[in-house]
Amino acid sequence: MLLRMLLFAWIAAALIAGFLWAPLVPVLGDTTRVFYFHFPAALLTCVAFGWSTLHSVLYLARRDLAHDAQAAGAAELGLLFCVVATLSGSLWAKAMWGSYWNWDPRETSIFFLMLIYGAYLALRSAVDGEARRARLAAIYSCVAFVAVPFLIFVVPRLYFSLHPEPVLNARGKPDIDPRILLVAAAMFAGETALFAWMLALRVRVARLARAREGA
Amino acid sequence: MPSASSSSAAAVWAILRKECRSEWRTRYGLNAALLFAIATLTAVSFAVGRLGDRPDLLAALLWIVLLFASLAALAHTFVREVEGHTLTLLRLTASPTSIALGKLLFNLLFLAVIELVAVPLDLVLLGGPPLHWGRFLAVLALGSVALAGTATLVGAIIAQTRGRGALFAAVSLPVLLPVLAGAVSGTRAQWSGAPVGAELRLLAAYGAAMLGLSLVLYDHLWEE
Amino acid sequence: MSGAPAGAPALRGFGAPTESVAGVALEARELGHRYAAGRGLEPVSFALAGPGVAAITGPNGSGKSTLLRIVAGLLRPSHGECVLTHEGRGLAPGARRGAVGLCASSVAFYEELSAGENLGFVADARGLADPRGRVAHALARVGLAGREGDRAGALSSGLRQRLRLAFALLHAPAVLLLDEPGSHLDEEGRALVGRLVHEQRERALVLIATNDERESRLAERVFELRGRGVGHPA
Repeated sequence: MLLRMLLFAWIAAALIAGFLWAPLVPVLGDTTRVFYFHFPAALLTCVAFGWSTLHSVLYLARRDLAHDAQAAGAAELGLLFCVVATLSGSLWAKAMWGSYWNWDPRETSIFFLMLIYGAYLALRSAVDGEARRARLAAIYSCVAFVAVPFLIFVVPRLYFSLHPEPVLNARGKPDIDPRILLVAAAMFAGETALFAWMLALRVRVARLARAREGA
Repeated sequence: MPSASSSSAAAVWAILRKECRSEWRTRYGLNAALLFAIATLTAVSFAVGRLGDRPDLLAALLWIVLLFASLAALAHTFVREVEGHTLTLLRLTASPTSIALGKLLFNLLFLAVIELVAVPLDLVLLGGPPLHWGRFLAVLALGSVALAGTATLVGAIIAQTRGRGALFAAVSLPVLLPVLAGAVSGTRAQWSGAPVGAELRLLAAYGAAMLGLSLVLYDHLWEE
Repeated sequence: MSGAPAGAPALRGFGAPTESVAGVALEARELGHRYAAGRGLEPVSFALAGPGVAAITGPNGSGKSTLLRIVAGLLRPSHGECVLTHEGRGLAPGARRGAVGLCASSVAFYEELSAGENLGFVADARGLADPRGRVAHALARVGLAGREGDRAGALSSGLRQRLRLAFALLHAPAVLLLDEPGSHLDEEGRALVGRLVHEQRERALVLIATNDERESRLAERVFELRGRGVGHPA
């Protein structure tokens, strides 16, 4: 209980600091604030994806359903954060460049990730039987993992050369104010803790459901 | 007792022949795929006319037709085993890798047959500019291998699920996008005389990655 | 000789794993599998050495077929392990297809291919020498000599069962697993099963899963599985 209050306080503090303490990036103006939602969410999407794939591989190696619960839970939460990242990114794009969606490399990448999460969850819902579901989902997870580097790095490069859109994200510049980075890092830490907590809950629910079924 | 590798090769070859024979007896998958390709291309030709000045659309159309024809048919090889309950017989007879390789080779052959019909039809009906044959065939070949390899793997997964057609499309699309992107881009490029090196590398790398992954994963696919 | 009384998980078999003419030994250690709540195979232990014939009996749902599938390497058990040794080498579940022959109702044939083509495919895939000859011989042995060209989908259930027997024996396996071999068969068919088992008892380890008295009588040892089968109180 105490930890939850602490987490709440931490994220609240980070948000407040983001609005009141950290400066604005000149080129972005007021829209800088979105950064504190968008960036951690996007990063967390990738972390969740990696975590899910890791546990998929572990499941195939060890056949312990606890790994499957982790993989599924991470995928569900990953989709959630992916949607947050996509929406916040889209709103930001509208504010900055006037259109909600541009198919620039970053937007395309997050969209592909969302497709893969969706496909993974759709696959899970179509399989009966715990062990079979875990096995097939884990296999698909590995396939998707191999596809991701191609989708994120190679494909956008291909289209980028075909459609030269000079739309590049402003973040990632080396001369960013350290205060902004601090708040962003704090938000990331807070959101990661949130992710870990929700994942633990989700895994516990899965375990209890399985135990009740088996009784 | 034959050595492990020779019996694997024998198994792959036996499975390939069995698939061909089964498909020839029923012809269900082949008919559906060919019909789809012909119907789509003629429908577009009727609606749009000639696309000689739009190589990008021509390339996209060709590969979308191939993609959907293969989605319709490639899962079929595994679905047939599941629905006919012959998986037990198959698993008792050959190793998972042999089964997968045999089916992959069959799917590749199947795709080649569809291409023999779809490619000329695409060019004739929709009027493409002259082909840069070397580059076109290279993209077609590598694209087909990547497509067949990936679709076979995903097909094997889907065959064991409840959903079929729609689910297969939804689940395979993200994983097939790199193939589609490389193939369409490459086909389009050869019409404008541009080099296709990048696309060929993409297709080769992706195909190799998928095939390599398959070798490791197939052992887990049918295990209960 | 029947197995241990109800409640005891361990059932002892004949022969110690080291005495075996054909070099086959099968050992189950707390082997069990659970499909879902209340269904599956209760943990069982036994040790068998070939050649010879053993029968596994038990009520419906006690896991006889499950046990055979595990021995054949088709199913990964949820608890315990099943160790199969042939000619001194342990065979992992994925490597047993050469040494094991399974005749079970779960073995279905390719309907559009003929009986001969089905067996021919199996013979080719296994890399057997003289595949045509072996197929002809196997079909003759189960009384399907004239049916080589018949479509598998057109065979009656009795003939299909004979085809399954032919499939199991085609590669002369060291371990023969028969799951209710007499099902769908007429008197003549059951006599055939008896002859085949008798033929094999000197050269292979035969495991028959059955509820039929006539079949369990073919065995030298009989085990009874006491599972939470259909009709048994939870």
